Amino acid sequence: MTKWGMVIDLDKCTGCQACTTACAMENNTLPGENWQDVLYYSEGSYPTAKLTWLPRPCMQCENPSCVAVCPTKATYKDMDAGGIVFVDWNKCIGCKYCMIACPYGVRFYADEKPVVEPDVRDVFPGEGQLHAPPYQGPDSDSVRGIGIQPKGVVSKCTFCYHKVSKAPEGVADLDEDNPETKEFTPACVRTCPPKARYFGDLDNPESEVNRLIADQRGVRLKDHTGNRPQVYYLGSGADVPAYQSPKKT
Amino acid sequence: MNKGNILQGPMGLVLMIVSAIVALAAFGYAFMDLSSVGHRSFNTTSQIPWGQPIATYLYFALASSGLGMIAALSLVFGFKQFLPIAKRAIFLSFVILIAGMAVLAMELGHVFRMLWVIPLNMQIQSAMFWMGVFYIADLIFLLWKFQKMEGQEWDSKTSKQIGIASFLAVLLASGNLALIFGMMSMRPFWFDGLMPIYFYLTAVASGLAAVVFFTYLAYGFNRAAMPERTRAMFEGPMPKLFAAVLGGTVLFIAVRAVTGVYTNNPEISVVWREFLFASPVYQASLWLGIIAPFVIMMIAGLRSNPSMQVLVSMAVFAGLFAERYFFVVGGQVVPLFRGTWEWGLIQYTPSMTEWALTIMGSAMLFALFAAGERFLNLSDMPAEPAPEGATAAA
Repeated sequence: MTKWGMVIDLDKCTGCQACTTACAMENNTLPGENWQDVLYYSEGSYPTAKLTWLPRPCMQCENPSCVAVCPTKATYKDMDAGGIVFVDWNKCIGCKYCMIACPYGVRFYADEKPVVEPDVRDVFPGEGQLHAPPYQGPDSDSVRGIGIQPKGVVSKCTFCYHKVSKAPEGVADLDEDNPETKEFTPACVRTCPPKARYFGDLDNPESEVNRLIADQRGVRLKDHTGNRPQVYYLGSGADVPAYQSPKKT
Repeated sequence: MNKGNILQGPMGLVLMIVSAIVALAAFGYAFMDLSSVGHRSFNTTSQIPWGQPIATYLYFALASSGLGMIAALSLVFGFKQFLPIAKRAIFLSFVILIAGMAVLAMELGHVFRMLWVIPLNMQIQSAMFWMGVFYIADLIFLLWKFQKMEGQEWDSKTSKQIGIASFLAVLLASGNLALIFGMMSMRPFWFDGLMPIYFYLTAVASGLAAVVFFTYLAYGFNRAAMPERTRAMFEGPMPKLFAAVLGGTVLFIAVRAVTGVYTNNPEISVVWREFLFASPVYQASLWLGIIAPFVIMMIAGLRSNPSMQVLVSMAVFAGLFAERYFFVVGGQVVPLFRGTWEWGLIQYTPSMTEWALTIMGSAMLFALFAAGERFLNLSDMPAEPAPEGATAAA
């Protein structure tokens, strides 16, 4: 059975945020509600200061803590869909417990104060939708949290399931450089200028993602949580520094 | 009916009407905001998804559980000294839970959807599913027990069995509520297997504050107007119990604070140092709302003083509300990933709409309580049994 996974090579990532922008465009998210974001960290001081960055999509965990806490089974892990974690917008009651339980902070309750002004919801008000921008993606699947989200529900990255699900059966990798799989590759992977992202089947020993994880010692973020992400990082920079009080830095 | 109960007269009517108007006005304000701009009217964010409305719900739900436990002292465990407040405690427990649920309903994204998706999907792995089950059971048993009391069935077998079931429901509901927070290993400030014990203790403290304040309110803050057995309870066992429970609360907070400050884990130590202890509001609530009341209740000359008891109940009421608020928000203020724009602790201040929900719940409580005092005899208690010697002589 397919198990979709992502590999992000931090030594190649330039922190350009093209992935963030592509995700927002592909999924019609509200400005600032970044299902995929790049976080920046600075440590040390001149002349030995260090700047690192970390692209952060939903980890689509093998053992997702967000699923067990959901009182309505609105959040679920679909093994038939490559192990992607979805939110069923028809079942979500907006209790936000999944947001509390996610160790990675990749769930969004967009029914909040605007992160970016002007508030797009006032510019393009929608009936039944949180906002109704003039361009809307053609794919919509409220059971999987795909499309423009309605009010009062939680949303998250779907690994662009509306694209991935159309990939040829049994394919090992979805590569933007391969004309046969380009259209089915998640937006963040397809748009990455330095090709720092790879997407493929973690259950297929022949896949490029598995080879990279094995050869370059892929690591998972916050592995101690036991959530076992399906997103792996290569290179330096996945050792995210713990929170430190600004008073001490 | 007790003639000393001022809430059965015009004062009760005034309190009921004014509280109902305040509750309706607050509801109207919050409803208008929520229906026009949705949860944009809250200051909660995707980083701090649970704010003051959740803290208010938690406070009311636990005060309700505390009142249920206080009622169980006499109804389940046979401490007859507490019988004078048993009926009022059961009633308060019921209405305060209704008020809490009303606040929670306004906080959720889709409250009516909840009514069918939870029973149809049976997600038994979720503590929040069990919260619904246990608190509904709690409500049913409270209502049933109250109905038995109304029918003067204080000591029947069925009444006792319902009392025990109600007590168990209270324990399960508040213990499970604690685990909603205590099982979150990704939120180290909350992650604690002993959280149910902490919640039981503070639930009883807030329940005592409620029953002391509302009993005094019913009698116009005049202890002389109370029935003799109620008066005796306030002069003897009640303040001693209050002192013991506040002492336990102080101890628990101290232990959590010491371990919290000592640890290197910034998701715990920074919360204690830079969010709780750095806040004048938290300091005031801790010292004036919990520690000072404990000291007052420990002094024999003060703890029986009616004015002191009312003052302590009000202080603890406020102190524990702040405790709940800082507990809920404290678990979320450290950003999960300090990155991009999050250089310090995440800032959160409740919005006017969120305050309106807190006011709505509080006013609901006062209105329902005043209605209860007016239309139901909450001071009722079974007749005092004859002394054993008298029975033997007869």
